[in-house]
Amino acid sequence: MAAKYDVVVVGAGNAGLSAAVKCAVEGKKTLLIDQHNLPGGCASSFRRGRFEFDPSVHEICDFGPEDNKGHVRLLMERNGVNVDWITVPECYRCISTYSDGTPMDVTMPCGREEFIAAMEKYVPGSRAPMEKFFDLLLEIRAAKVYMNDGTPNDPKYMQKHFPNTLRSCGYNSLRVLQALRMPQKAIDILGVYWPYLGIPLDEINFFHFGNMIDMYVIRQAVIPHHTSHEISMTFMNRFYELGGEAWFNCRAEKFLFDGDKICGVRTSLGDVECEQVLANINPDIIDAKMIPKELVPERDKKLSAARNKKFSTKFCMIYMALNRPVEEIGIKDYCIFFAETADSRKEFEYMKSIDNGYNILISYNTLIPDFSPEGTCVISFTKLFSESEDWAKLTPEEYYKVKDKMIAKCIDDVKKNLGIDITPYIEEVEVATPMTFARYLGTPDGTPYGFELNDWDGIIARMMDVQADFTIKGLRHIGAGSFMADGYSSTWINGDLCAMMACADLEEGGKK
Amino acid sequence: MALNFKVGLVGLLDMLKFANLSKDREKVIAAAPAKEITADYPVNNFAKAMHPDFQPLVIDEIIDHAAAGAKTFIFKRADGKPASYFRAGQYISLKLPIGESFVTRPYSISSSPKWALDGKVAVTVKANPGGFAADWMLDSFKVGDEVKGSEGLGAFYYQKYRDADHVVALAGGSGITPFLSMAYAIRDGIEDFRLTILFGSRTEEAILFREEFDKIMSETDKVKVIHVLSDEKKKGFENGFITADLIRKYAGDEPYSVFICGPEAMYRFIGKEVEKLGLEKKFIRSEFLGATKTVWEQPGYPQEAKDKVFKLTVKQGPNEYVCDCLANEPILVAIERAGIKAPSKCRSGDCGWCRSRVTSGEVFIPEETDGRRWADKQCGEIHPCTSFALSDITITVPGEYY
Repeated sequence: MAAKYDVVVVGAGNAGLSAAVKCAVEGKKTLLIDQHNLPGGCASSFRRGRFEFDPSVHEICDFGPEDNKGHVRLLMERNGVNVDWITVPECYRCISTYSDGTPMDVTMPCGREEFIAAMEKYVPGSRAPMEKFFDLLLEIRAAKVYMNDGTPNDPKYMQKHFPNTLRSCGYNSLRVLQALRMPQKAIDILGVYWPYLGIPLDEINFFHFGNMIDMYVIRQAVIPHHTSHEISMTFMNRFYELGGEAWFNCRAEKFLFDGDKICGVRTSLGDVECEQVLANINPDIIDAKMIPKELVPERDKKLSAARNKKFSTKFCMIYMALNRPVEEIGIKDYCIFFAETADSRKEFEYMKSIDNGYNILISYNTLIPDFSPEGTCVISFTKLFSESEDWAKLTPEEYYKVKDKMIAKCIDDVKKNLGIDITPYIEEVEVATPMTFARYLGTPDGTPYGFELNDWDGIIARMMDVQADFTIKGLRHIGAGSFMADGYSSTWINGDLCAMMACADLEEGGKK
Repeated sequence: MALNFKVGLVGLLDMLKFANLSKDREKVIAAAPAKEITADYPVNNFAKAMHPDFQPLVIDEIIDHAAAGAKTFIFKRADGKPASYFRAGQYISLKLPIGESFVTRPYSISSSPKWALDGKVAVTVKANPGGFAADWMLDSFKVGDEVKGSEGLGAFYYQKYRDADHVVALAGGSGITPFLSMAYAIRDGIEDFRLTILFGSRTEEAILFREEFDKIMSETDKVKVIHVLSDEKKKGFENGFITADLIRKYAGDEPYSVFICGPEAMYRFIGKEVEKLGLEKKFIRSEFLGATKTVWEQPGYPQEAKDKVFKLTVKQGPNEYVCDCLANEPILVAIERAGIKAPSKCRSGDCGWCRSRVTSGEVFIPEETDGRRWADKQCGEIHPCTSFALSDITITVPGEYY
């Protein structure tokens, strides 16, 4: 006899964890399964020697302080998930080249006033458009709250209360910043975070970009004290406490149907029956491999063809443990971006190549002195790729050589940009390539992200289309491939929202 | 400051553009062809070839090292594919169906990574007292037998940005195998570092892979082997045990890394000798110890638990099993005895593949093999391969892919 659940959540990554907890909070009998042997997906950790590394986290946005709580904080509080958070006091340092070819080295603090003041220092005359920009972000934040409150959106109300949002958010970010008469150098500095969205400023919708700046600059970012695995385990503990059940090293092989509605999941540990499935799996993979061919909806085929396998950013992460305190090494900032150019379109093109020079340095111990054993520190590097072709071409023998090459690039970047030679201090070093992410996440090309947020396929458009995109009865896509796209915060919120929808469906079904 | 601006040429159209985001998206979708969806990605295929659920292997050849009480098993991929490529020094975890049990055993790969491209991989198994899996393999394995194995695993390999250019390897008995693989890799141009191996054997006759190493040394001057005989005094050999002085003698003046692999007793002796060298931690690496066979000698062990038999309840997916659990053995052994297909790889507390959740009961985890993540330590997650029962226990284990 198959086990029976109200909801089966497939994939215990960020979206799956928040979805599972939400369903359990709502009193639903919930099963969470994952093909790996631990929860979290990207939000995990791994050990080497006496060190523990975070595989992915840079900064988590939309948490916010007590007096300006962000969506993530509200979600965590509402669902009883209490993590030991550390606030990131500064946005970023960026060492790069402005669009006009002059060298850039800026450090941007958090907080509206502080951020604008720093910008004015680097780009005299930027204050007025920066004030306008942040005013616009305030309005967009209010619009987002209105749009997300679950009630239908009234166009007249929106025109009255959010006119500038409506004016700007149909456009790409570069165009809006230019319309605000933002000096190009200020655009260059503001644009530093663009890779977190996976697409250049001239393509990314302004709503999405503005929202991100709002969350990082105004609400400040946080990171977990003891790696992302701490976050995932906090979710898991809450889930278990609420009576949830989890099966790890358990692969969902097929979805089972009763007519055109999902009625269960075939897993490597046996069949389970359920009313609702929340699938933290890329929609293409579900349609191609997990449901009968004749049940693949026409619209899915068209949507998939329109997206044409354009998956968002691929990553190579280089993790290092150094056997000296971070103060002695001399790295002072938590987060430093090394970019070849601040021109996001150009950099995006460079990122097609495996040899691109983009890199982000995270130095955990600058914020968390006890992140690693006394007298040591842990740093990580993130290299981004807009295409995976160069990686896919590698042979197994070349593979380890490329890993070494990535390490060499990181050592060089620190030497060149900070004048520090870290070579003698490397006690542990590990490299995660797109293949590594593919191995652990199973996502297309190993992207931790979803589909590219193309101009026609941005987050607002997807949100407006959300009911149309869920084509299969009883199944909702959650996670990076879903409507809110990628990132820790987005996927937690997305999982929570989709769980609410699934629970609502269950209530409705119960009444009938 | 009044906020009023327009982006497009005509500000009013901006509103329309926003309102039309969904319609525009629907138009793009409607215009696309209704093609069959595929999900075949080269990067994922590469990952799957490097890290399959398991490699189907078949025994291609067996080499008997009678004097050393060991055999080398050369496996070939049963499906004709290349074997998963690996780094010289890594181990493979074999999945062995012994009687009613499904057990795993980690063995360092002794062949060159180059062989993997031809679908071949070799391990060397030495008889050891009470080693029931080793004895089973030595007695029953014959050419043509099929067995499942993992890909190459572990971080016991040379990494040029971490290790010194010169590696002094300290090996005892069958602990030589990862260094044989490294020596092959150097000879084959896959790795590039100087490797000096101090190899402890009881007698000249019992030396493993002597011919193989002699051949490698004639082909490359980067590899050097010094035989250290504990039970014999002979010309041309070092005599006694591997000591700090002996290491200094062969290490030279340049910086060097020490790599250690051998049986538990040798490891404990050599560990003390290596300490005398005053090397930084980063220059000392050792292959796994395995779970202790005398847990009651570990600091902090509650002696009243020793020799007891507890009840173990194991949950795996929808299934539940109840079995006995000997206090003196790792919990993983009890799970395997019960015939449960549970995951495990390194069996030394390190890799975390057996990570499981204790929902009731007490366990003892020796500090020296506690490789758990910080949060797992707070949350009742254990690695059963190096955890010992102190009471009746209920545990939830992950599935395993067979």
